[in-house]
Amino acid sequence: MHSGVSKGPLWSAEHLTRNMLSGKAERSNEFHAEERLSHNERAELNDYAHSGYDRGHMSPSADFIDPQSNNECFTLANMVPQVHNNNAGIWSHIESSTRYLTKKVGETYIITGPIYQGSNIQRIGGRVLVPTSIFKAIYIPSTGQAAAYVTPNAAGDDYSVVSIAQLEQLIGINLFPKMNPSAKQHAMELPSPKGNSRLVPLAQGTSTTAITTAPATHSGEGFIDKLERKIHNFNKGY
Amino acid sequence: MPNSKKDFIPYANEADSLSIGELTIENRLDRVSISGTIELTKDKEGLQYAYELKRIIDATIAELKNKDLPEHIEIAPVEMVENPF
Repeated sequence: MHSGVSKGPLWSAEHLTRNMLSGKAERSNEFHAEERLSHNERAELNDYAHSGYDRGHMSPSADFIDPQSNNECFTLANMVPQVHNNNAGIWSHIESSTRYLTKKVGETYIITGPIYQGSNIQRIGGRVLVPTSIFKAIYIPSTGQAAAYVTPNAAGDDYSVVSIAQLEQLIGINLFPKMNPSAKQHAMELPSPKGNSRLVPLAQGTSTTAITTAPATHSGEGFIDKLERKIHNFNKGY
Repeated sequence: MPNSKKDFIPYANEADSLSIGELTIENRLDRVSISGTIELTKDKEGLQYAYELKRIIDATIAELKNKDLPEHIEIAPVEMVENPF
């Protein structure tokens, strides 16, 4: 879902399965403006030039093994201006954790996008808005559970885990219209990203609603074990 | 279509992206961005990766040396605008 206001995506959705992630993406590619959008709506390569910001993939290149979809994910309609330290650090670990989780549970639905908080927002190239945070929401159909990672678009290793309800309130978008309300309210545990990642409460920003972080575990393996047991029970009709 | 690795000309455009192992290399007008990790294993793949990486670094040095370079690049000033969301 693209915005002509921010000149970038509001969200980017993926349906991932274990099979889709087997193999290796050949990443020799070209960033490009989205040809299906008019200039007035889309970001151009030049908007990002000399900005100091990365072109941060929302749906990550490593999720797309086949060459055509890998090429398509290099459209600027899939990019937001992202701090390099974040993109190459905690964010890349969140992406890896999401693939790890998908390989473990077999199938996930992922929605990734920018968050714009505060009364004023940075703009680069005179056109493209810089998000203050970035989210990655994950739904596991086999358990009906979901949660989202959120990380500030800033240097550092901080991230938060929130429920889909909290995330939707924050961005004002109903990301999963058909999701069970109870699943939206309760954040499942998410594996902790590798590196020096640090789980912190979500910064409240200017939101008038109190946001509390959902419980999450830092013992990734233990969590996966629990999840596998849940899926096993689910498959048994539990 | 994608450039092959040997066509990578540092600082020539804002488009090129390629990978060597787990390394991602992106071309920008004001920088060559290299991120990720790489293991140069003691095998044919390791040697191939080492050559590819060397080619990128050699090309980068060739573009930079003997030029009148500033101490540091200048970043375009960032505007602050009202949050439309």
